[in-house]
Amino acid sequence: MSELTTDQIADEMFNLVKEYAGKKRFKASDLTKEIIAKHGDSVNKKDCKAALRVLMDSGRCVYGYAGGSFISLPGEEGAAKQ
Amino acid sequence: MAEPAAPRKTDIGPPHYEQFLHPVIKKNYGKWKYHEYMKPGVMVHVSETGDKIYSIRVGSPRLISVDVIRMFADLADKYCDGYLRFTSRNNVEFLTDKEANIDPLIQDVQAGGYPVGGTDNSISNIIHTQGWVHCHSAATDVSGLVKATMDELYEYFVEMKLPHKVKIAAACCLNMCGAVHCSDIAILGIHRRPPQINDDSVSNVCEIPTTVSSCPTAAIRPTTVEGKQTVKVDGDRCMFCANCYTVCPAMPIADPLNDGVSIWVGGKVSNARSEPKFTKLAIPFLPNNPPRWPEVTDAIKKIVDVYAAGANRYERVGEWIERIGWPKFFDLTGFEFTKYHIDDFRHAGETFKRSAQIKFQ
Amino acid sequence: MADHKLRETPLLDELKKGPWPSFVSDMKKMAERKPMVNDLLGQLELSYKEKKGHWKHGGLVGVMGYGGGIIGRYSDAAKEFPACAHFHTVRVNQPSGWFYTSAALRELCDIWDRHGSGMTNMHGSTGDCVFLGTTTDELEPIFAELTEKDWDLGGSGSDVRTPSCCNGMARCEYACYDTMDACYNITMEYQDELHRPAFPYKWKFKFSGCPNDCVASIARSDLSVIGTWRDEIRIDQAAVKEYADSGMEIRANVIRKCPTSCMSYDGKEITIDNKNCNRCMHCINVMPKALRPGTDTGATILIGGKAPIIEGALLATVLVPFIKMNKDDDYQEFKDLMERIWDFWDEHGVNRERIGECIERVGLGNFLEAIEVDPLPEHVHHPRTNPYIFYEEYFEEVDDAEAQKA
Repeated sequence: MSELTTDQIADEMFNLVKEYAGKKRFKASDLTKEIIAKHGDSVNKKDCKAALRVLMDSGRCVYGYAGGSFISLPGEEGAAKQ
Repeated sequence: MAEPAAPRKTDIGPPHYEQFLHPVIKKNYGKWKYHEYMKPGVMVHVSETGDKIYSIRVGSPRLISVDVIRMFADLADKYCDGYLRFTSRNNVEFLTDKEANIDPLIQDVQAGGYPVGGTDNSISNIIHTQGWVHCHSAATDVSGLVKATMDELYEYFVEMKLPHKVKIAAACCLNMCGAVHCSDIAILGIHRRPPQINDDSVSNVCEIPTTVSSCPTAAIRPTTVEGKQTVKVDGDRCMFCANCYTVCPAMPIADPLNDGVSIWVGGKVSNARSEPKFTKLAIPFLPNNPPRWPEVTDAIKKIVDVYAAGANRYERVGEWIERIGWPKFFDLTGFEFTKYHIDDFRHAGETFKRSAQIKFQ
Repeated sequence: MADHKLRETPLLDELKKGPWPSFVSDMKKMAERKPMVNDLLGQLELSYKEKKGHWKHGGLVGVMGYGGGIIGRYSDAAKEFPACAHFHTVRVNQPSGWFYTSAALRELCDIWDRHGSGMTNMHGSTGDCVFLGTTTDELEPIFAELTEKDWDLGGSGSDVRTPSCCNGMARCEYACYDTMDACYNITMEYQDELHRPAFPYKWKFKFSGCPNDCVASIARSDLSVIGTWRDEIRIDQAAVKEYADSGMEIRANVIRKCPTSCMSYDGKEITIDNKNCNRCMHCINVMPKALRPGTDTGATILIGGKAPIIEGALLATVLVPFIKMNKDDDYQEFKDLMERIWDFWDEHGVNRERIGECIERVGLGNFLEAIEVDPLPEHVHHPRTNPYIFYEEYFEEVDDAEAQKA
């Protein structure tokens, strides 16, 4: 398999968060583990760290607060509406 | 969140501390030889070079407005060439190399309504948390508790007349965003009733497996109520830590009828003489009685009074109690010893007395 | 004067009385020009009346790209107190040792006055300069103005929380390493870990210059760095005499208080059996003019301190009895150790479990082995007292035993 670019890893992470939204929550390390499990030795933790930064800087995901810093889709200001 | 127009500066960290150091401090960095307490709240540090820096310590409520900070800044300009710092116990320290500035500064500080003290064998400022002013999990209001307590203990802040220093902390819940678990005396907000469960919203706002696993005593189980997925709590196993509420907002635990304050004693973080130690329970429950919590301030005053009367020089509260024994502590304070004082959580057995070495009154 | 109606707060007004400075008096003044503080006082009065808080959990607020530094806060009584319906916290990373100039403080005050309630905590429990109360719309402008003036946000959530330190060598003769430099260096090294939560739970660093531990690192940090020394306490016998002449009871207050009985005083001079000294600091605290820490200085590293939630409070436990906190190599030994610990935590930690709890769960011995630290008698109060040992190897055959002998 060819080497993944940082953007490609970020995209895969985003797809995971989107796919499992409402079903499973991921922390940064969970996403890293998923990516490494899928791609084996062709990616490492450093690549994933860089990809996470790209993902968060792009605004496609935000850090959640309740019960841990889970990577979430941006949405309502949760508690404001309860 | 809109993208800002200018190129974004991130991860720059705090400004480098060196630009905030008084020239005498910069020059004598790492060269300090000794210090002395000139009077309550005033220290002089003397360098190997012979240079001196004077520190004037001022009590603050910690919760302060920008106007108060600006007043401190003005005083720093007037007397300290603009240099000041804050301490780990939220006091302000004015720093000057001019001995002649000390007394005029103190006069101005006191005229502004702020006390000078908190050094050496005193009661320094109370480390505390947010309380009802700003926290979602607070069982009490610590800003008010601290104000009422420091009013009561004021003489011990402005004088240095105790056997040793007494460090007090206050926290509004068991998260203890303050060193409550290792202070000479500690005030802790507590809940006493299991969380109420809002079955309609649990599945919307909480992740059920996370909520179940958040409970340290495994008191929470998943369940279904009227077709809705939710959780239930075994009240007998709940010890009111509120960890479930932290991960699941649909399980509020605050309850005006039952929330209150517990009092703890005998902890320390310093390694001096004896090893650092945890605080131990003195009073399991006192009512939340705002605005001035008289039951709490009376109890703390009582502890300080018996400590001041009975401790030897250089004995912290915990060291004093270990010398005289816990039975004597309860005897002297008049606090009731109850079943709640006996631990029944993890490693509880380590706190049981396992010898026949008993003092009789 | 205010163009809004000031809230009546009869209960809180009781806290304007007494000698200790009153946060209520301060807030009442702010309420005249800040409707947000006026409503905050109104809501707090309601809490005092009902004996109940009125804040809800945080929500998804932050500045773009960061997961730390902002705590979302919303009122559950917003109808009654609309001006503080949104009341978020901004944590600003404080300078090492909490040293400021008046100009720097005014800079922070001006930014906060323009964009928030004007109320602060100087400082928060972890160490940050805390701005209390603003709305989501103000967050990006605040961040832009802070960074423009070279300030940055601190930590929150499952990240490196803002490290803090005592004033160390800047104004203390006890400092055994440069706490302010170490704190700054480590804070800068881990900016990404500080702003982008990637851990199972929070991670606190605290740096104390000596075993007096003025920032309570042993109780309040996951990684506690406490200054110490390996050689002999420096004694100035002339100063000992001065203390004696000034009336100090050296035998009662110093010699007999020594926990290891390693000191003696013959009425003229103090002698110390340094091999027996456990660096408790008592004698040095009492006689700072006469006694000083040695010159072969460094630090003891302890791990896993925390407050009760979830499995009970822990004091940090010894990890490295002595380490040189070496500025010249950029604290490389320390940072290498950190990488190994975080790799382990990544692998074995679970959500909302602090490292101290994680270590208790997997066993300190296993943890040490994983991070390549040799087990030492300094790691324990005493060896285990139970025989339930998880032996990891045994011989299957006589030949195996013979082979190992050979």
